[in-house]
Amino acid sequence: MGQLKIMLVDDEERFLVTTKKLLAKKGFDILTATSGSEALDILGTEKVHVVILDIKMPGMNGLETLRQIKKLYPMVEVIMLTGHATGETAVEVLKAGAIDYLMKPVDIDDLVQKAEEASEKRQRLEAKIRGASMAALQ
Amino acid sequence: MEQKHFKVIRKKILLSMILVPVIPFILILGIGYYYFVTSLETNAIASMKRISADHREMIESFLTERKSDLEFIAGSYTFQELSRPKALAEVFNRLQGKSDAFTDLGIFNDAGLHVAYHGPYRLTGKIYKDTQWFQEVMKHGYYISDVFLGYRKVPHFVIAVAHEEEGNKWVIRSTIDTFSFNNLVRKVHIGKTGEAYLLNNEGMLQTERHSGGNLMDKPLDRIQYPESHRTTKSFIDKDVNGVKYLYATTWMKDKKWLLVIRQEKADAFEALTSAAYLIILIAVIGGSVIISVAFYLTNGIVERMTQMDAEKDQLGRQLIRASRLAELGEMATGFAHEINNPLQIMKSEQSLIEIFISELKGNGQLSQSETLVELEDSLNQIGLQINRCAKITQAILKFGRQSEPVAVDVNFKQFIPEVTAMVAKKASVNGISLKENVSEDTPLIHVDPGQLQQVLLNLFNNAIDAIIERHGSSGGELIVESGPKENGKVEIAVRDNGQGINPENLKKIFSPFFTTKPVGKGTGLGLSVCYGIVDGMGGIMDVSSEKGVGTIFIITLPAASSNPLIL
Repeated sequence: MGQLKIMLVDDEERFLVTTKKLLAKKGFDILTATSGSEALDILGTEKVHVVILDIKMPGMNGLETLRQIKKLYPMVEVIMLTGHATGETAVEVLKAGAIDYLMKPVDIDDLVQKAEEASEKRQRLEAKIRGASMAALQ
Repeated sequence: MEQKHFKVIRKKILLSMILVPVIPFILILGIGYYYFVTSLETNAIASMKRISADHREMIESFLTERKSDLEFIAGSYTFQELSRPKALAEVFNRLQGKSDAFTDLGIFNDAGLHVAYHGPYRLTGKIYKDTQWFQEVMKHGYYISDVFLGYRKVPHFVIAVAHEEEGNKWVIRSTIDTFSFNNLVRKVHIGKTGEAYLLNNEGMLQTERHSGGNLMDKPLDRIQYPESHRTTKSFIDKDVNGVKYLYATTWMKDKKWLLVIRQEKADAFEALTSAAYLIILIAVIGGSVIISVAFYLTNGIVERMTQMDAEKDQLGRQLIRASRLAELGEMATGFAHEINNPLQIMKSEQSLIEIFISELKGNGQLSQSETLVELEDSLNQIGLQINRCAKITQAILKFGRQSEPVAVDVNFKQFIPEVTAMVAKKASVNGISLKENVSEDTPLIHVDPGQLQQVLLNLFNNAIDAIIERHGSSGGELIVESGPKENGKVEIAVRDNGQGINPENLKKIFSPFFTTKPVGKGTGLGLSVCYGIVDGMGGIMDVSSEKGVGTIFIITLPAASSNPLIL
């Protein structure tokens, strides 16, 4: 399926810049957005596989953004990033459709691992859907 | 201040506890005594008056009878007849047969000449014309004398009766034996000291007195006289020796003689004295019972109040500590959250630098040198320190946020092995014997099992660390105990024989960020989190420790049934 395309969404620009560089080094195609609305805009134009979303942002917060993404682009996998992993938030986030959540400060390797897992899951899902639609065509 | 406050309360309670029963108690005793005294005095006086009236009647009738005897003789015989000594002797003998009080008998003509006499003395021929008694009898028809010595120099009194015969008055006179009269008058029995005696109108004794006083003496005792005849006067007065007497006095009818009946007051009121002693005894015993009961109860009350005050203070302190912890938790959470973002950036930057360096090394732009090794070490250290910070912030976040606990009824007996199993390996590696001493009657506890596990694990880990510190890898002992406590509580104790905690540190043990572990080993949040959790369960966490002996953490939790409210 080619290069994994990841979008980072966080209000901390330096975090975006550095992480983008890091992930690029690891061979990922990286997009960044500094707000929830910007992220939704990008999703409208670009095909993104995995979104890494900070939960605490000014304007549209992470949870809201997550709900919008899941509503508009259900095939996009979302990993939540939080500075404050309370039990309730974790449950809420997973209920809202996030595949996983990570607690800041996150190790870059953990991030990569989670992103890859998410991508794999998505690929399996896509394959299943393809298989199903092919079966439907026959 | 507190002490003084309790002293005032104590004084007030004590005072009212003593006064409230003592006042009616004394009043009852006093009123009872007063009425008893009054009734006793009234009775004593009434009986004394009655006795005096009876006694007077008796003495009067004696005198009247003697007078009638003489009148009868005077009426039965003529002056001539009686003037003959032989006849007189015969009459006298008959008279004496009737009453031996008569000691002699004499006949006088109107000139006062003693015409005839029968008796122990030789009085015939004496002339009495000018004597007072003779003049009185001639005037009034009869005369009863006071006791006097007369010619005979023996105390006696006489009764004389005048009789008129054919225009001539003559007089018959007899001497009354003072001895028998004395006995008659004295014959009165009242108590031990009761006595009766007669006084003439000059206050001279006409009869002898039991308590001393011869005939014709003049006792110096003050006597009050009745207002009129036929009445009795009663009074209480001291005699010359200062002894108090109860008196009754009354006048005789035919004679200016005063009958005095008296009794020592102490004798008359003997019952009163014993009553008074009894009342004093009752007052003393009752009073001391009241006072000792008051002291006992007051001490109990004040002690309970002091205890309650201390409990209130402790509760207040716990509340302050809990609320302070909550505030601190909130602040720390915000702080940790904000620190996490820069930490994230630092961590990313550090990872990036690492990648860059390895790239530069890979394409030969950086040659291996000592400086490069130092640089890599330094970079590595930055990574480590970032992780350390992350650990701290995570601990703070855990401390600040307690996820909503879900309380269920926990059977501690079944629950504890799951927890000890988690530290069993660590314990056995370090040669620590892990014992469970859970009493069978440990009640169910209504708590979030996850939280309880967190608390116990924290205590176990601390205990194991303390044991290793002291014993190395053998000889350690870690015991967890539980059992019921009064007031529907359950007590869980975690006991170790580790190095112990010194008193200075013991005070701060539940404070956040307080740790004695080496830098980077502990955040100092474990126990304060435990404290917060136990507090949230409605329980109390306490610690006692002795340096070099061991430490006991005691958690007191409400038992399930009595604990319907748990957040």
